Amino acid sequence: MLFLVAAGLQLVFGVQKILNLACGSFYALGAYTGVSVVTWALGWGLPAPLFVLPLLAGGLALAALGPPLERLLRTIYDRDESFQLLLTFALVLMFEDVIRFVWGPAPVQLRGSYLAYGQVTVVGTTVPVYNLVVMLAGALIAVGMGWVLTRTRFGRIVRATAENREMAAALGVNMHRVYRRVFTLGVVLGTVGGALVIPATAAVSEMAIEVIVEAFAVVVIGGLGSMRGAAVGALIVGLLKAGAIATWPEVEMLAIYLVVIGVLVLRPAGLFARATP
Amino acid sequence: MIRPVAAVLAAAALLGAPLVATPYQLTLLLPAFAYGIALLGLNLLFGTTGLLSFGHALFVALGAYTAAWLTTRTPVRSLEVIVLAAALVATLVAVPVGLLCVRYVKIYFGILTLAFGMLFYSFLYKFYTLTGGDEGIRVLRPTVLGQAFASLDKVGFLTGPFYYAALAVLAVAALVMRRIVRSPFGLSLRAIRENADKAGYVGVGVRGHRFYAFVIAAVFGAVGGALLAVPTGLADPLLSYWTHSGNLVFMLLLGGFDRFLGPLVGALVFILLQDTVMSLTAYWRFVFGAVLAVVVIFFPRGLLGLLPRPGGPA
Amino acid sequence: MRTTRRHFLALSAGAAAVAAARLDFAPAFAQSAPVRLGVLAAKAGVLAPVGESGLRGVQWATDRINAAGGILGRKIELVIEEESSPKDTVERFRKLALQDKVEVVTGAISTGVGLALGPVAEEMKTIWLAWDATTQKGVEETMPKPKYSFRSTDNECEAVMGSILTARQWKGKFKTVAGINPDYSYGRDNWAAFLAIMKKYGIELSVVSELWPKLGATDFTAHVAALQQAKPDLIFSCFWAGDTPIFMKQAHGAGLTKSTKFVLTTGGGVHESLKKDFTPEGAILGYNCFYFEYARASALAKEFTRWHQEKFKEWPNYESDHGYFTIAAYKAAVERAARAAGGKWPTQDAVIQALEGVEAESLSGPRRYREDHIMEATFFQGVTTHKNKHDFVTIDPVETMTTKQIQKPSGVGLYDWINGWKV
Repeated sequence: MLFLVAAGLQLVFGVQKILNLACGSFYALGAYTGVSVVTWALGWGLPAPLFVLPLLAGGLALAALGPPLERLLRTIYDRDESFQLLLTFALVLMFEDVIRFVWGPAPVQLRGSYLAYGQVTVVGTTVPVYNLVVMLAGALIAVGMGWVLTRTRFGRIVRATAENREMAAALGVNMHRVYRRVFTLGVVLGTVGGALVIPATAAVSEMAIEVIVEAFAVVVIGGLGSMRGAAVGALIVGLLKAGAIATWPEVEMLAIYLVVIGVLVLRPAGLFARATP
Repeated sequence: MIRPVAAVLAAAALLGAPLVATPYQLTLLLPAFAYGIALLGLNLLFGTTGLLSFGHALFVALGAYTAAWLTTRTPVRSLEVIVLAAALVATLVAVPVGLLCVRYVKIYFGILTLAFGMLFYSFLYKFYTLTGGDEGIRVLRPTVLGQAFASLDKVGFLTGPFYYAALAVLAVAALVMRRIVRSPFGLSLRAIRENADKAGYVGVGVRGHRFYAFVIAAVFGAVGGALLAVPTGLADPLLSYWTHSGNLVFMLLLGGFDRFLGPLVGALVFILLQDTVMSLTAYWRFVFGAVLAVVVIFFPRGLLGLLPRPGGPA
Repeated sequence: MRTTRRHFLALSAGAAAVAAARLDFAPAFAQSAPVRLGVLAAKAGVLAPVGESGLRGVQWATDRINAAGGILGRKIELVIEEESSPKDTVERFRKLALQDKVEVVTGAISTGVGLALGPVAEEMKTIWLAWDATTQKGVEETMPKPKYSFRSTDNECEAVMGSILTARQWKGKFKTVAGINPDYSYGRDNWAAFLAIMKKYGIELSVVSELWPKLGATDFTAHVAALQQAKPDLIFSCFWAGDTPIFMKQAHGAGLTKSTKFVLTTGGGVHESLKKDFTPEGAILGYNCFYFEYARASALAKEFTRWHQEKFKEWPNYESDHGYFTIAAYKAAVERAARAAGGKWPTQDAVIQALEGVEAESLSGPRRYREDHIMEATFFQGVTTHKNKHDFVTIDPVETMTTKQIQKPSGVGLYDWINGWKV
């Protein structure tokens, strides 16, 4: 699921050159909203196995946040990138309290739905089918994104804008609309990611601040601006964490930062970068 | 015309504060001084050189832990030694970190510094035999100018000798920074901020200059950190968390990052704001976020930016 | 310069005289003025639910006391500040002491904050009644003889009780053990205590996995996988926050709850989130110092539980009781000291003396402060069961142990004490 958040980060950065610290907040919002929507839907009598639908719907609905936030960020497009970073930091702070205000400070979890699809035994280990569903969803979205970016007109425009903003504008592309759509897409990637994860864990107030660091790690490892990089980076980070826990649990906390620094030192552009450092 | 008078008034206010302010108000000023010093360093990096570090809190924490280590694990109690030691430790750490970080600019620099800050946080948390882990290490009361002032209780100490010591360190730091900023080195830094390529063509060693700026900023950060830890009495890992770095940048922006006194004003306003708002509402983060957003969008030059710029470079 | 210094000294002397005079006058004038108590309650982060819980206990106690006329006729006025990072919380404490001029500060749960506040309370000469955060380091290293700080029960008590129950119930029934504990002092101390006590009971075991996720982690897929590989007979965990139900959910999803014994020393703090769906029966579960469905609970406890459920739609946990007790203890101490002073409001020193050894009724039964300023209370742990009318697990039978059995006495190191047991 880290991939989704990272993908959102990448997209927005690649096109608009904004590094969005609030991507973690979208992840959190998706998670919390997911719980509320599914609980409400189940209370209305929705059959349990269909819970994925309201879950996704909740995540997608948050796309409504995209345009207004993008307008906010638009006010400082021309400024130094540092300001954009700071504005998104301000958003992180505000969203954290908004979440606390709406849902309270205690963790929020989803009842029962985790095992709604049962379990399956794969190579000797039991795994809830939901985990596989999530992995499948992630893969589908990744493939979907790839298709959109390479095959559709919108995708071509996005990539063109990422390459050369001025040229694209000169060619008649409506910058504002592109930016709005890209940003909203970035938001949705984050919120859906958060929503999909929720049945397996719980929504906690610090999740935004903590997922940021991991998302950044993914983006750095994969290379800023590259979708493929986000996918590979997320995979690497996930494997690394699992590896650390399996072999040397004590370094679990440190492992990720060391790798980030290692990558930045050895291959500053990341593994698949396009943007120059 | 206005600036010297304002400066004298401010200095007089600060010097005379212990006579008129309540002890609590004075203890509020102490972190403002400490942050002011740390921010002078950050300002060199961001305001003058154009590098936004999201990991400056690393050095603040480093300074705090130096103070803690010295006072609890060694017989050293002298504030002067602690400050110098913090500067030294900061230099030692800033050299390798700086060498790595200055290879990049802007976003990458921000991410890399954030990563280092969090790395240090994890290190402080994990290696608990060395660092005390989540509990941190205590910072015992230092001596000022060799005097223990044993007759004063901690509050008296903080609002008396320590207050003046911190103010003195701040004054010295400000003077030193002023020299640096106005020196040819400082001018080169500003040139680099404006246009790194051009500066390079003219013969300025871009990477070298950035590196030195980084190290100097680190030293100031650590000195601030050491002073910050004394009133708290504890150095703990949260000092290095990235949101603490975020707060530092917030303070700098609030005061005005391309003004010399920006850091000091920003630190003061932030501390006062925090004190009032934290007591008023549990949702102070929202308020702070909103303030930051407003500042970024409407007042990017900070509070001091609202004032007319005096003739000549700040 | 000389003139200024003389002025300064004169001014400070004058200020001191005025302050001293005010202190003397205070009791006479303030007989009916409210008594201000400062509260440090966590409102954000992983501590937020516990902080809120403690605050509820404090507020309920305050409301009841005020409804009955207050303490010696003076109503309690709470000044509430937030517990956050150690640095900020120290500043809040100073504000409460210097600016709000509270008589007592109650609160603090995080270990880092606890360590910082001890010396500060002593410096500010303000009585501090902590809710939690009692690590050995805080007690032994920094505050061997505190005057103003009164701490809660030791952090290891839960592990001690859980270990004793494990030994009694499962000795000989498990060989391999895995630990999954939050990676900080609390996690480490409890795990170490567990291993030491198993050794003391002569239980031969081998540790097949030791996992240290960070406090408040939300994803344990890799940890659960590691546990599946290690195949332990028993899993020990002192998780106390939102991580507890997440871990259980993911462990259950991987089938671990079918065959493994679980010891969750502090999971009872978040008991309502331990749903029957994924929390097995037969696990040892600890509730710290308050169990909401204790059959032999006092009328006071029942009233509080009912009020809590009605008002918040949640069942209370232990931190409310810690919070409640600090207020009740303060009241009892003031009254005890006043009796000795002929009915007048006692001085701070008299209150401190009265607090040492004071006994007061908490929500879970009588508690007291030891002469060394550590709390004595009753702990509740038991075996989980699904036979109840809730959607989460409860415990039956309920075992109670007092701190006399599971908390080390003053002046002894924890492991020396354990080694000296007769089992």
